[in-house]
Amino acid sequence: MIFSAELLIQTLLSGLMVGVLYALMALGITFIYSIVKTINWAMGEFYMIGSYIQFVAVHFLLGPNWWWLAAILAASGTFLLGLVLEPILIKPMYARPLQRRDDYATVVTIALLLLLRNLAVALGGPNQYRPESTLPVVWVGPLPQEGARVAASIFAVLALGSFWLVIKKTWVGLALRAAAQNRVAVQTAGVDVFRLDAIAFAIGVALAGFAGALLAPLFMVFPTNGAVTTVKGFEIIVIGGLGSIPGALIGGLLLGLVESLGAAFISSPYQNVYGFLLVILVLILRPNGLFGERGREA
Amino acid sequence: MPALLRAQDLSKRYGGLVANNRVSLSLAPGEIRGLIGPNGAGKTTFVNLLTGIETPDAGRVWLGEVELSGLGAHQIAAQGLVRSFQVARIFESLSVSDNLLLPFLAAGSPGGLAAGLARVRELLALATLKPLAQERAGTLSGGQRMLLQACAGFMVPSVTLYVLDEPFAGINPVVKDTLIALIERENTEHHRAFLVVSHEMEIVRRLCPLVSVMIEGRIAAEGTLEEVARRPEVIAAYLGRSAA
Repeated sequence: MIFSAELLIQTLLSGLMVGVLYALMALGITFIYSIVKTINWAMGEFYMIGSYIQFVAVHFLLGPNWWWLAAILAASGTFLLGLVLEPILIKPMYARPLQRRDDYATVVTIALLLLLRNLAVALGGPNQYRPESTLPVVWVGPLPQEGARVAASIFAVLALGSFWLVIKKTWVGLALRAAAQNRVAVQTAGVDVFRLDAIAFAIGVALAGFAGALLAPLFMVFPTNGAVTTVKGFEIIVIGGLGSIPGALIGGLLLGLVESLGAAFISSPYQNVYGFLLVILVLILRPNGLFGERGREA
Repeated sequence: MPALLRAQDLSKRYGGLVANNRVSLSLAPGEIRGLIGPNGAGKTTFVNLLTGIETPDAGRVWLGEVELSGLGAHQIAAQGLVRSFQVARIFESLSVSDNLLLPFLAAGSPGGLAAGLARVRELLALATLKPLAQERAGTLSGGQRMLLQACAGFMVPSVTLYVLDEPFAGINPVVKDTLIALIERENTEHHRAFLVVSHEMEIVRRLCPLVSVMIEGRIAAEGTLEEVARRPEVIAAYLGRSAA
């Protein structure tokens, strides 16, 4: 392995580019957890649905030049799906005694995972699809970068920015931040916390759907394509700390960098191992994650 | 005058413990009522039943003409019955002024955002919290948290009845006076009714023309503090059976 500054820069760049997409995925998981207090194990299936919407929209309806509109459609579609599914599937857990809630949510979201995955097989078969991309190679200085990859990371950054704006600047965002801290107090302030749950769930799965749409030309479209990204999402949650939004962002970038550096300078077949090594390291040094706090109920 | 609040035969049982046993209570509009009773008498349970935090096993509640039974906590707040908690439930990572703005926004910002911001400034001045408006609420002291929580209830525009659960517990005398002044001002200027759960008899005497006494899950007596303090069952509940 010959070390060169160019290789290092290219590696860092591609690590950051994939890192923002990881961050998008992790942000969805951690955001849903922080409001609804449950882990959505079917997160990868919303990523998968986003990628299918992207493929169908680009291949059959809009054409490759309108890929960005397709991605917005994918995010909107998964958002609406989340808005409909949350009150049906997740809300009933608040009718259960506290200690059963986690079990309930785990079983329900894993059932949803199986249902959606098999639905994808039934509708699209086990085949791999790829939406066409006509985006040209982008030169960053002397370094070539795949067009779809650059576009995906730029749009991921835009999505993160929009998320930030909604959370910091709108009244729904204020209510969401308040609900993340105290579900009872937010109700006594007159806020319908169950409606917030549905909105938070929808925003979270829309982030996953958007990531799936953006990565569709790179990582393909098939029924289990969400599995790997879900695992990465949870790696990031462990690294950054469950429920922490900065943790999801920094953790995503860190994971992207570690994988990309390891693949370039150690050995590329083991790319997925480097992330796990980082996870183990974090668990030894900071068991609550980089930005994690000790758990707190109600 | 028709009652503002009517709670009728509210009951709540936890396993073998009857926390509230057919509790009935009426409040007139603009009244400040004290609710006293020994620890474990069921005062907080009663407050939870009134405000939809817990569901009664039996009994009904009306606020004016509106029946509250079966409504969720946020709907009850929207109807104008708000509450505070014994341990201040504020949003620590939000700024002090955002803590106050939230209930106003949740109510649909009647009169526009400017009206809400004006009300925030007014309440912060009354609560002596104005210099801290942009600070994170998590940096406030215990007494300041109580004041902030109390002010948040006043930000619900439609509030006609404010239930304060132990608002004076563990806070210093200056903050107590500020809170009392705030309650009296909201009472006289906006004709808001209060139900004040408290162990601080000096404050109850000063603030509440009438008190209700809760003992072992029932309302045992009602009247002025002087009257109820002479009742043998009240004395027994506070001092033990032998005193009766």
